[in-house]
Amino acid sequence: MAQQPTTPGGPLNVIGKRGPNIDAVERVTGRAKYTGDIDIPGMLVARVLRSPHAHARIASIDTSKAEAFRGVRAVITYKDAPKVMIWGNRQYALNNPVRFKGEAVAALAAVDAETAEKALKLIAVQYEPLPFVLDPEEALKPGAPQLFEDGNLEGMPRILNRGNIEQGLKESDKVIERMYHCPTMWSGGMEPRACVAQWEGDKLTLWASTQSPFRVHGSLAAMFGVPDGNVRIIASYVGGGFGTKSAPHTDESLAALLARKARLPVKLQYSREEEILDSNTRFETRIYVRVGVKKDMTINALELKAYINQGAYHTRLGGLGNQATHTYKTVNVRTEQYRVHTNIPNTGPTRGVGDPQEDFAVESALDEIAIEMGWDPMEFKLKNIKRNGDPIARGPAGVEDGRLITQVLDRCIELGAARIDWTRRNAAAGGQPGPKARGIGIALTERGGGGGVGGASVKVNLDGSAMVFYSSTDIGTGSRTTLAMIAAEVLSIPLSMFRTTAGDTEVAPYDGGSQGNRTLQGTGRAVQAAARDALDQILAAAGPMLDNTAPADLEMRDSVIRVKADPSKSVKLADVMQRRGRSAVGLGNTTAPQTGMNVERTTAAHFAEVEVDRETGKVRLLRYIAAHDLGRPINVTVVENQIEGGSIQGLALTQGEEMRFDKRTGGCLTGSFLDLKPPTMMDFDPRLIEAIIVPNEGVTGPYGAKGLGENPCHPGMAAVANAIYNAIGVRLREVPFSRGAVLAGLNAQRPAGSRTA
Amino acid sequence: MSDEERERADKASVSRRAFLKGGAAATGALTAALIPGTAEAQLPDATEPDTRHSTVEMTVNGRLYRADVPNSTTLAQFLREDLKLTGTKLGCDRMQCGACTVVVNGRNVYSCTTLALQATGAEVLTIEGLAKDDALHPIQQAFIEHSGFQCGFCTSGQIMTTKVMLDRMPNPTEDQARLALAGNLCRCSAYKKILESVMAASRMMRA
Ligand code: FES
Ligand code: FES
Repeated sequence: MAQQPTTPGGPLNVIGKRGPNIDAVERVTGRAKYTGDIDIPGMLVARVLRSPHAHARIASIDTSKAEAFRGVRAVITYKDAPKVMIWGNRQYALNNPVRFKGEAVAALAAVDAETAEKALKLIAVQYEPLPFVLDPEEALKPGAPQLFEDGNLEGMPRILNRGNIEQGLKESDKVIERMYHCPTMWSGGMEPRACVAQWEGDKLTLWASTQSPFRVHGSLAAMFGVPDGNVRIIASYVGGGFGTKSAPHTDESLAALLARKARLPVKLQYSREEEILDSNTRFETRIYVRVGVKKDMTINALELKAYINQGAYHTRLGGLGNQATHTYKTVNVRTEQYRVHTNIPNTGPTRGVGDPQEDFAVESALDEIAIEMGWDPMEFKLKNIKRNGDPIARGPAGVEDGRLITQVLDRCIELGAARIDWTRRNAAAGGQPGPKARGIGIALTERGGGGGVGGASVKVNLDGSAMVFYSSTDIGTGSRTTLAMIAAEVLSIPLSMFRTTAGDTEVAPYDGGSQGNRTLQGTGRAVQAAARDALDQILAAAGPMLDNTAPADLEMRDSVIRVKADPSKSVKLADVMQRRGRSAVGLGNTTAPQTGMNVERTTAAHFAEVEVDRETGKVRLLRYIAAHDLGRPINVTVVENQIEGGSIQGLALTQGEEMRFDKRTGGCLTGSFLDLKPPTMMDFDPRLIEAIIVPNEGVTGPYGAKGLGENPCHPGMAAVANAIYNAIGVRLREVPFSRGAVLAGLNAQRPAGSRTA
Repeated sequence: MSDEERERADKASVSRRAFLKGGAAATGALTAALIPGTAEAQLPDATEPDTRHSTVEMTVNGRLYRADVPNSTTLAQFLREDLKLTGTKLGCDRMQCGACTVVVNGRNVYSCTTLALQATGAEVLTIEGLAKDDALHPIQQAFIEHSGFQCGFCTSGQIMTTKVMLDRMPNPTEDQARLALAGNLCRCSAYKKILESVMAASRMMRA
């Protein structure tokens, strides 16, 4: 292998700097083409007929009038749907019975939107309504309406056991039992789901707004029974995903089915209402926690029993993370997860998968018990966190068969606490007199850095410019930029000479996709390997131009190849490439790194300071410190942007974004931005969010990067809940933290006689 | 139907579909709708699409366009579908997000909730018209330098609102800028970098 111009740990020229995104010009000029911008001559417009019932058998469906309507080119119902599930996830493209209000019942494609909408009304459906259930615990009771023949529980309960929980609780000096609830919450991106399908013979090209092109690829190849090579997925620019676009979805199947039937390209774009209703959003969790501590401040037992509302189907992804098992040195741990089907729309993994919900439970419960014991919650957490060398599980089973490395969570806590000045925290919660009270709270989090199979290629052109091809996507996380920076660092070709092709399954090798903190690590390692491969080829070609110097004795800097021993002997990259006469194409295919016993995690400590108005119940954010370990930052600007934006998304969960369902009909009551209230620049003053990048270097990712995207969204709910408690002594265990809930909590503090009714 | 009758009928149908009184929907007015409790949401009515056609004529990015479009065509549809100017995005089609913001006669409007007919005779500026002869506008430069975006889907709208604000108020405070941009959602919540970009643009344009 050729000598590298720069090595991890060595001097770096590109990595670790600030700087604009390499696709910034496209994004600020309107030239970036998102899926909805794609226009193919003769393309049809699709619309979806959705179920008016939360659970119903389709007794009959008559599409003849719609099919005869002028301008309609194809109509499909469940009868047209192949009996192959979408990515094996229990759901066909169209289903009978339908299991949530708003589920697709039929779809059609017509020459324009108006025709499609009119024709939709001509489809006659007779439903036989079935009883429905919306609550995950209700759904497990005997006699509850059943969504599937094998019941409402998805798979086996997921149980993780370490030590002996009952004995651990018994031997604790103090035990508390609490329940924390997060409702179903909307977490979609700015760009509603969109896809365009085009068949040429038995070859399908599908432009899709997805995070994981190869998952969609696999799903559609299986559904249509065609070889992988017959399917091409393109997700060039994606307007945000946050997990909702990480699993293959109904829309892609519908567009492909319609396009095949109509023999014309079809565009299917969800309206905002459809996107909210049918987008694999954040799942509801009811988490019962039991935690026991000993007088010496150690956590002796921690148990989580979680009911997860999967909604009607599931995405094969999701569930809780490892907050209970990987952050603290607790000997006795048990987690039980029940993933339950109910008649609400599909849910799935969304920014942090289930980590924000789990973090809310764990970090709140630990705050509660520390305060009950009279301990400083930060000291308590600092004492119990896992540190380097501590045992930690390598796999999903609870057994702690590995050991933790490159951990700097203690530094995250210390730097964050210093920045917010933790000493200003109220020694006694709610101690401040007057109508307004301030409080400070802390919440920690952790997550895997994401691995999986990475694939990418790097091409150096005849003029010395270069390209990175990868099939995962840039959903706003800056991966085009950071991946190109990795290649630029390896090759020492200026970043300005790079172009990227993202999200194309035909031009780039298989890759796991953009989710779960994995793109930078998983795809990044592949890009690093691909760039080295290309560099080897270039140096081999340069040798004959430099007195037949062996490649190992050459190096490339700033697109000039030099003899290491005699830098006066040099040749320009472009000259080497011209002479070589063919591009240098490097391939990178990587698996998760083999680290033996070692386990690397990414961590963060968040601190919130709030002011609570005792008269109105309003909670105002005063300051938010987000101290993160992400290994080495590849691009500092990108990292800050992720931490700042992710923190606001985490905070947003405290104030709204709840999806509510009508108990009588199962219908979604919150179908618009006005109902969900995603934050504007006025809701959280962005200047209050301060990102701290804790200096560190990992060992598994490219150039010591660990990955980041999910974590900033995890701790917001717990940090704010803990801060509210510190301000007014009211403990909120259900999100969102409404004014009503704050006032009710304050009211309950009053002596019985003086409470308001 | 006489010409006069037709004209009256057209006007009636337009005003049925006009979601805000007094013409184009200005984002300033809509900002309030996004902030809970400050204004009633003004939602579009649910009448059938108007299938009659009219001729619209407007200047977009300095070029005059004339087209025969259904009366129900929104300005966003006209720009995206008829003129193929897809830089203007649709995030909600309900005047609740600002992704579709364009400049009409110097005002920032939600093009999803403005009829193409309402913009007849107007000067319209979209994101595609901001750069002059390949030289990026200072606002675009500032958004690049300060990474005032993540996924970029809201970015055209953020930039067009910024343009109108800085034209009217060249030297805003950060709080004034925040308020002016409150009608533009950024789901990635890249707000800190957006605010930095806006303030940098203000400095660059005054220099
Ligand atoms: S698309 Fe016009 S305001 Fe959202
Ligand atoms: S950059 Fe993604 S919505 Fe603003």
